[in-house]
Amino acid sequence: MLTIAIAKGRLQEQAVQLLARAGVKIAASDLASRRLTVDDESGRYRLIFVKPSDVPVYVEHGIADCGVVGRDVLLEANADLLLPLDLRIAPCKLVVATTNDTSLMDGGMLRVATKYPSLAAAHFGARGVPVEIIQLVGSVELAPVLGLADCIVDLMETGRTLKENGLRVVEEIIDSTARLVVNRASYLLKSAAVAELIGSLSAVLDGGP
Amino acid sequence: MHLSRIPSGVRYYVGEAARRRRAVEDCAISVFAGWSYEEISTPTIDYYSLFEQGMGAEAQTSFRFVDADGGLLALRPDVTSSVARACATLLAEKPRPVRLCYVAPVFHQHPRSKAEWRRETTQLGCELIGASGIAADIEPLVILAETLNRLGLERSYCITINNVEIFNGIAEHLRLNDDSRERLRSLIDLRDTSGLTELLDALGTDARERELFVQVTRLAGKRAIINEARQVITNARSRAALESLAQTWSAIETVGLGESFEIDLGDVSGLDYYTGLLFKVYVRGSGVRVGRGGRYDGLTSKFGRAEAATGFVLDLDELTSVVAGTEFQVERAGAPAVEISLPDAGSTFREARRRRSENQQVRVMF
Repeated sequence: MLTIAIAKGRLQEQAVQLLARAGVKIAASDLASRRLTVDDESGRYRLIFVKPSDVPVYVEHGIADCGVVGRDVLLEANADLLLPLDLRIAPCKLVVATTNDTSLMDGGMLRVATKYPSLAAAHFGARGVPVEIIQLVGSVELAPVLGLADCIVDLMETGRTLKENGLRVVEEIIDSTARLVVNRASYLLKSAAVAELIGSLSAVLDGGP
Repeated sequence: MHLSRIPSGVRYYVGEAARRRRAVEDCAISVFAGWSYEEISTPTIDYYSLFEQGMGAEAQTSFRFVDADGGLLALRPDVTSSVARACATLLAEKPRPVRLCYVAPVFHQHPRSKAEWRRETTQLGCELIGASGIAADIEPLVILAETLNRLGLERSYCITINNVEIFNGIAEHLRLNDDSRERLRSLIDLRDTSGLTELLDALGTDARERELFVQVTRLAGKRAIINEARQVITNARSRAALESLAQTWSAIETVGLGESFEIDLGDVSGLDYYTGLLFKVYVRGSGVRVGRGGRYDGLTSKFGRAEAATGFVLDLDELTSVVAGTEFQVERAGAPAVEISLPDAGSTFREARRRRSENQQVRVMF
């Protein structure tokens, strides 16, 4: 049996739909329930639903063989995983945003509020800009508005949340879509099952059933 | 600071767990001895420059500190560097090949990945110095297989083999600079087929070749994968390596180990270190690699004596936790202990010594 960890939230529904088209079908009653682990109808796959940043953790330890999670989360976690497939769902961008009346290059350093401390530090570090990283867990958009930070590094899907909070995008750091990730040992020890999953997902992505 | 605190990445072994770990160690060392590998014990602290020479950038994960004379020391992050130096110096006159084995803890400030959380791990290793050719490539593989079989993991492990010169030949053939070479290596390593296709496209490769190349590096397989690779990998350097890998595979089949081995052309790790055959050990029940090894002909020359070398390490801690879920027999300490409780210390221990001289297990009761 293959265990697949799915990131809850933003991409969950699209991921479950994509897997269903690839033959990993979950009974409607199971999906409607609040259970965090469900088996598919064939009994060959088990889906577990965990927080996005926990997906690489479960897969790296081999507790889940595979996972579906955004590239942004993977890069932030710097996990040692295989990335065989771009699932091309849940597209978004990691951006630098600030209030309309803030100019970023005025002072000697920047205060950056973010849920992505390593990516933010790497981004500004690469261009020699000293930053103070202020790590937040949610509502990052508030930070520059209230004066906690000069700017934010956050995920943008449509740009609506940023706009509604009076923020503008200054820079795009990376593009992100959902990725299929696989544990290194599972890739070899369960190679037939993993190859089959990758094969059927690729077929769906390439315009199959 | 509370004295009860313990640093991250280290642990205790007590009782059953400690006995199991010792049994795994004894089992491995007896196999190594059975193949005439002599035990070597290397210094726990050594000059940082030794490990920098021996391991390259990976040495940076070591714990470092300053010697009384200002020299930079490190807590041993690997054993191979020290063994290679010993072979070039202390053991220079010893007839070749030199076969050495060890069981030794190594230390890293930062674990290699989150799943490999330990900062102190114990390596079980074998090094075969001064021998080249297929036979010298096969010997470590056969020893590895025997060790895993004796640990009761017969149908639970998979050893993948590859030859680093296949990738090196391709990078040379495509005239890649360091950045693109690393990008190609990383995409193959991550099995990122779409990224790999894009990169090869940008490098101007032929469409059919591209598809085949992505296919042969994507999945591990048996002999057939070599035949597929022959169709797409044509440069002389890679071809020579591919033929050598084919011979290694034939030998593995002849030995009767084909079931437990796979050819993984997508294993492109440690390219700066290995010079030919390289292999990885995976065991069911562990999400991480429990062992690795290969040919490292470049290493001993750094210590003044170039010679062929090959070897492997197994992770004792990871093996111990895998074996915990199997039927691997950990010997108990024989018959139940004889409890001795006499009125005075002198007679108690006289009686205890008598029992011990008969090799009985005693427990003195206070």
